[in-house]
Amino acid sequence: MFGEILNNYTLDSLKNGEFTLSENSIKQDLSLLIQALDSSISGIILTDNQQPDNPIIYCNKAFEFITGYKRHEIIGHNCRFLQKEDRGQKERSILRKAVEDGAECVVEMRNYQKNGTLFWNELYMSPIKDEQGNVCYFIGVQNDITRRKKAEQELLHQQNIMESQIQERTKSLKESEDYLSSIVQTVRESLVVLNPEFEVLSVNDHFLKTFKVSREETEGKLLYELGNGQWDIGKLKELLENILPTNNPVEEFEVEHDFPHIGKKLMLLNAHRIELEGQYKDRILIAIEDITDRREIERRKDDFLSIASHELKTPLTTIKGYIQVMQRLLPDSVGDKLKEILNKTGIYVERLNSLIAELLDMSKIQTGNIELHKETFDFDKAIHEAVENMQAATKTHHIIIRGHATNNYTGDESHIIQVINNLLSNAIKYAPDSEEVQVYLSRVSNFLKVSVSDKGMGIKIEEQKKIFDRFYRVGEIQQRFPGMGIGLYVCDQIIKNHGGTLWVESEPGNGSTFSFTLPLDEGRFNEQ
Amino acid sequence: MSNKTILICDDDEGILDMLELILEETGYKIIPIKNSLHIYDEIEKQNPDLILLDLWMPVLSGDQVLRTLRKNPETKSLPVIVISASREGERIANEAGANLFLAKPFDLDILIDRVQEIIAA
Repeated sequence: MFGEILNNYTLDSLKNGEFTLSENSIKQDLSLLIQALDSSISGIILTDNQQPDNPIIYCNKAFEFITGYKRHEIIGHNCRFLQKEDRGQKERSILRKAVEDGAECVVEMRNYQKNGTLFWNELYMSPIKDEQGNVCYFIGVQNDITRRKKAEQELLHQQNIMESQIQERTKSLKESEDYLSSIVQTVRESLVVLNPEFEVLSVNDHFLKTFKVSREETEGKLLYELGNGQWDIGKLKELLENILPTNNPVEEFEVEHDFPHIGKKLMLLNAHRIELEGQYKDRILIAIEDITDRREIERRKDDFLSIASHELKTPLTTIKGYIQVMQRLLPDSVGDKLKEILNKTGIYVERLNSLIAELLDMSKIQTGNIELHKETFDFDKAIHEAVENMQAATKTHHIIIRGHATNNYTGDESHIIQVINNLLSNAIKYAPDSEEVQVYLSRVSNFLKVSVSDKGMGIKIEEQKKIFDRFYRVGEIQQRFPGMGIGLYVCDQIIKNHGGTLWVESEPGNGSTFSFTLPLDEGRFNEQ
Repeated sequence: MSNKTILICDDDEGILDMLELILEETGYKIIPIKNSLHIYDEIEKQNPDLILLDLWMPVLSGDQVLRTLRKNPETKSLPVIVISASREGERIANEAGANLFLAKPFDLDILIDRVQEIIAA
């Protein structure tokens, strides 16, 4: 459109890029310029600074369009009529100052169309001066920037929403951090976090309480240098420097140490190398359980039981002896009834004796304090001897032993004999109607194997697992064969302590076979 | 067979009485000692052929007594049977140098058999 105008008219007054006015072309040129102004999408006005209140003396078509006013409603007004009642905008002072100083300025302000609709007006104002430098007119160029402003405002709004969301999330993060930290502080176990250089990053309250130190003298210090090097413990170093790098996490690591002020502590450690993507790497979390007191209580309990069993057995020795004397002194003329009574008394004294032994065994095993005295011995010979002794004591059953295992086994002989005795006496006890018990020795791969088979009542499949539990006794047997029911539990623990397995195969009515294996390759077992 | 002497050292009077009763019956001379502190004097005085020794005794324990006996050239090879209700009894007895260990409560027949074996040897 603009191009067409230039083709139809010649702008005589514009020569060499400058306007020069000649009488005959003025009219035509002016009309052309006005058309150009009216084609602009920016609103353009002229105000007369020489008249009071700087009235608008010219506006183009775009100004009418932007403001919604007609030309006759515009001319003569001061620009501020577009602000309607919204007079508090700080941009007005910028405008006022520019008018006073005769300077240029750009402001963005809220203006209102005739119908009251808000529009954002970007106003560029520029003075026109005469030769003396007096400001005669101002040119105002206006652009409706409502859409841009709206986008800006929406952006701002979004930013505000986002900011408040961030604040909220930060708050809830902080809350959950507080929550976690309150858990960490409440826990009755000492917790330490180290960085890869073994500097203490944080400890919890329980740590401070247990080791009687303050947070200030602990956090930020090197672990090994804490409290004059009282944490410079060989086993702890071993854990942190040699074990943890290749085994993560490490659990139940026992460290014993004599601390200068708090004395000897037995500690159970769990250590965990932790990494949080992008935040930190190779931090070490150590949880320390102080088991000093617990171990001491266990030890006292074991001591108590040892003493108790010793003291109980002492009078039992006398009783047993006298019963045997009585049996001997009994004249042949005495009735069978008295003989029978003495025999039974002897049997029950024996039972009392084995109950005391079982009680002690169970207590030791329960606390894991069963000590193995490992020595190399002739395994087959020991089993043969045990079988002979058992055979000597039983008149009802015939014990047959076959096969070979080894003449050279390293383990706790007395414990293993205890197992074989238990299996043999079970086989005899629970198969009262049969006459034969078979013992079979063999070697399977790098294990030795011992099986004890009876032809007794057998064990139901659902009860086979439970018979190795403490205090479990096969239901109906409970009434017929009283006892504490820890024999097989103790046997199972003993075999496990030697790295072997104890199991049963049985069918009700067809007898039971109890078997155990023990690893022959002692060195390999230890390495595991 | 009856001129042999057996010294029994146990802090429990019941066991001392019972053992004395049984072993006297077999014809041995019995020296019962309740307080282990007196054992060295009695050994010197009576020169026994065998000692039955308890382990857990107040003041001087059986394994201490046994170690001392084994260090002395005169009692070095004196036969000693340790009788104890201690769980660790057998190990302690062997380490201290006992000829035999019998766990309490023991079987009288076995005790008498072993006593006779060792004295005859």
